[in-house]
Amino acid sequence: MDNGNILVIGAGVAGINASLSLADSGRKVYLVEQTSYIGGTVIKFEKVFSNMECATCMVAPKQQELLAKENIELFTISEVLKVEGSLGNFVVKVKKKARYVDLKACIGCSACFEPCPVSVKNEFEEGLSERKAIYIPCPGALPNIPAIDTENCVRFNGKDCKLCKEACMFEAIDFEQKDEEIELKVGAIVVATGFSSFDPKEIPKYGYKKFSDVYSALEFERMFASNGPTTGEIKLRNGESPKSVAIVHCVGREEKGYCSAICCMNSLKFVHYLKEKLPDVKISEFCSDLCIPGKSYEKFYEQTKTMGVDIIRFEDIEIKEEGKGISVKYKTDTKGSSLPVDMVILSTAIEPKKDASKLAKILGISQDEHGFFAEKHSEIASVDTSTEGIFIVGCAQDPKDIQNSVAQSEAAVGKILSRGT
Amino acid sequence: MVEKIGVYVCECGPNIADNVDIDKVMETISSLPGVEVVERHKLLCSQNGKKFLKESIQEHGLTRIVVAACSPKQHEVTFMKVCEEAGINPYLFQLTNIREQCAWIITDKELATERAIRYIRAALRRVPFHRDLAKKEIETNPDVLVIGGGIAGMEASLLLAGGDRKIYLIEKTDVLGGKVKELDKLLPRMESSLNIISQKIQEVEQSEDIKVYTKSEVEEVLGFLGNFVVKVKIGENKELELRVGAIVVATGFSMFDLKQLPRYGYGQYDNVYTALEFEKMNIDGKILLKDGKPPKSIGIIHCVGREERGYCSGVCCMYCLKFANYIKSKLPDADVSEFYQELSIPGKAHQKFYEDTKAKGVNFIRYDEVEVMDKGIKYKTESGEEKTSSVDMVVLAPAIEPSGDTGKLAEMLRVSQGDGGFFQEEHPKLAPVSTSMEGIFIAGCTQGPKNIPESIVQAQAVAGRILSSLIPGKKLELEVKTSEISEALCIGCQTCLEVCTYGAIYFDEMKRVSVVNEVLCRGCGNCVGSCPSGAASVKHFTTTQLHQEVVEALR
Repeated sequence: MDNGNILVIGAGVAGINASLSLADSGRKVYLVEQTSYIGGTVIKFEKVFSNMECATCMVAPKQQELLAKENIELFTISEVLKVEGSLGNFVVKVKKKARYVDLKACIGCSACFEPCPVSVKNEFEEGLSERKAIYIPCPGALPNIPAIDTENCVRFNGKDCKLCKEACMFEAIDFEQKDEEIELKVGAIVVATGFSSFDPKEIPKYGYKKFSDVYSALEFERMFASNGPTTGEIKLRNGESPKSVAIVHCVGREEKGYCSAICCMNSLKFVHYLKEKLPDVKISEFCSDLCIPGKSYEKFYEQTKTMGVDIIRFEDIEIKEEGKGISVKYKTDTKGSSLPVDMVILSTAIEPKKDASKLAKILGISQDEHGFFAEKHSEIASVDTSTEGIFIVGCAQDPKDIQNSVAQSEAAVGKILSRGT
Repeated sequence: MVEKIGVYVCECGPNIADNVDIDKVMETISSLPGVEVVERHKLLCSQNGKKFLKESIQEHGLTRIVVAACSPKQHEVTFMKVCEEAGINPYLFQLTNIREQCAWIITDKELATERAIRYIRAALRRVPFHRDLAKKEIETNPDVLVIGGGIAGMEASLLLAGGDRKIYLIEKTDVLGGKVKELDKLLPRMESSLNIISQKIQEVEQSEDIKVYTKSEVEEVLGFLGNFVVKVKIGENKELELRVGAIVVATGFSMFDLKQLPRYGYGQYDNVYTALEFEKMNIDGKILLKDGKPPKSIGIIHCVGREERGYCSGVCCMYCLKFANYIKSKLPDADVSEFYQELSIPGKAHQKFYEDTKAKGVNFIRYDEVEVMDKGIKYKTESGEEKTSSVDMVVLAPAIEPSGDTGKLAEMLRVSQGDGGFFQEEHPKLAPVSTSMEGIFIAGCTQGPKNIPESIVQAQAVAGRILSSLIPGKKLELEVKTSEISEALCIGCQTCLEVCTYGAIYFDEMKRVSVVNEVLCRGCGNCVGSCPSGAASVKHFTTTQLHQEVVEALR
């Protein structure tokens, strides 16, 4: 008989949404997430375009609902190792890594962080701040339960340190926890693993990591976040506020060979961020073609223009050293020019998740020429794959905004519930 | 009756205990009137703590409970469940937050202690005014009405039809297929559109669960989620009454009317065609001028009506590129120019289609202003240069706009229209296919301009929403904390009807009072705030309850 349980891979906004709807219908859902938290990339945003709603406030009720849902089993710090079988009868092997903190005993008071002697770059904050070896990625992360990063924890590297355990009042820290391998039986699989951001270091002309005040879009996003490394203060590496900022669109578009669909709107959102904190800052948006489709986005663009921003259409662009600072050297269709600025933000392309090909092999589904998971039919079956019973949603399939990701997650639910498996 | 109130103070390990003097709190509170018992616990939300709370409630025969602990967002539901298990109505309990709003933010322990006492006093004064509230459930009808027989409406119908519910598909015209039926090929693979749409139509017609009504229109919609009653007009004089649990609106779009903009020369010069007319020409197999000869040069103009409508329609750039491919395959030597403003070609497959089209020798001209003349196109570039290009044929890409009857339908369904006049979704990010009216869903271009895959995804998403929430045989649990309007106090001004986002209030013409439909009400309180006579109140947040709490907190 066919199995009605569902495996969802990835606990970003699409995966959470699919899990909740499936659970509402009475299905048992196993949600496997690679990191120690849920919420994906969206919770890195302070606000979302175009209604400028607070992103964490928007997602938090969904996250809470997910954590409280009885028929959703969440596996954090976990990965899918093996998938066998077919529609209605998949057998999945999941590696559940030890968190070393008891989810039931821990109350999330964070008393264990301070005594930890380790300090490493926090990847959630794009390396803009440091964290301990026992940590949560940012304040407000859910589940609000820390995890021990065994790569950096001194105890797991030979020393007899137990400072975190001593600081815990609830006996929640358990160094004896072991990684587990779990076998799950499910009828269908939803892949919602999201995306990675293009690394601008690959293109030297953008001066990323060469000049200290050239930031990627996600770095800037965390800089503006009220729960981020600067608690929302926009400042240069020397501690001063920037007086002029250049935002460069389409970073990596040519190399990737496609338009990532969300960067224009995201770059316009940055104007709102900047003007909110620094009303006098001079902003230049360097764009090629403006991609702002849909009923609400042009309105946002028009509104952004009135806030004071120069929109410059470039054909070629380079970030150069100028005096003690940096400048944007660019060419339009008619002239070449140069603009000195204090800060540059690079709107980087969306690319397939770094480990997409590994997962594609495990699932037995194909990837397209860019490495995104390939849909069964681009026009009429975009959430189906060539393997019946395996669905792809959100940016794992194609770059898209939150609305379209959520719609796809519900679409996969529709396909699953419709056929009863 | 004098209430027997129990107060439970949670230490939350060191989190509350370190910053609040719990002994002092207990001493002060125990002397207050009505307080039957005051207890403390190290961690009330633990298994141990919940067991302790349950047993204590039963042991003392309490009638009201106050828990002083963390944020209600964290554990209100947890303690409500404990109350239920202990045999007391969960709405007779109040959680007051002495962690986030007290212990964690006030560094002076004495001040924090005083504040904690104040909060608990306020809750104590509130709880006697709490009332038993009961969960309600209603029977629902799982059948679905789908309005619109285009690709989105058909896709939704097909997914919904699983044997355990009936689908009524209402189509205004005499055929299924919608706009997709009017297209020659689908990009990027250039497959025959007719093949794809015919297959869908066949599936719909063969489904035993889908009843199709063509030449039909919705006349009246009454009721609410789970129980709609819909009047449908079929043909000239037949009428039908349908009972359904949910409604899907998939009415598609109209094309911007080019006669509004004389500068495009439509209807004025020969050989100026709209996108759909050009599709028709290709379906018929030949691209010809009015005089029967093939054109030597064709200009395709993007963004027609974009400025007037105030949004980018999202699909025109790509289909204009498709048109260049139509022309190049039928008339390889024809000169093709795309007059565009901003090339909007998002997504993984589209740039390649653009590159391939460009490689076929298609010209791309970015214009700032454009005007169609007899046998030519006059345009101004971004740098202000004025130029003219002579062409034999012009194809215009008009904006997508809401279909003509959107306003009428919106009114009938009590769903609001948002940007561009399209149906307004419940939430632009997290709920794109539902509306503020529970049970009414939107899919495809009726929600906003979009391409075929996005329309189909939305249709599938609607199916997901309905299949996961409207389950045959399963009752619908209603919101408990709904609004109620006192018949005695209501003056019949109907202000509440205006402010209710959920269409949950109706006016009883006989009694001349507003009445709340508890199935639709979500308890937002808009009506309470706007009611001039104090007739409206939200259960569990009544004016008396809030007043008592606030007065004590400020005393």
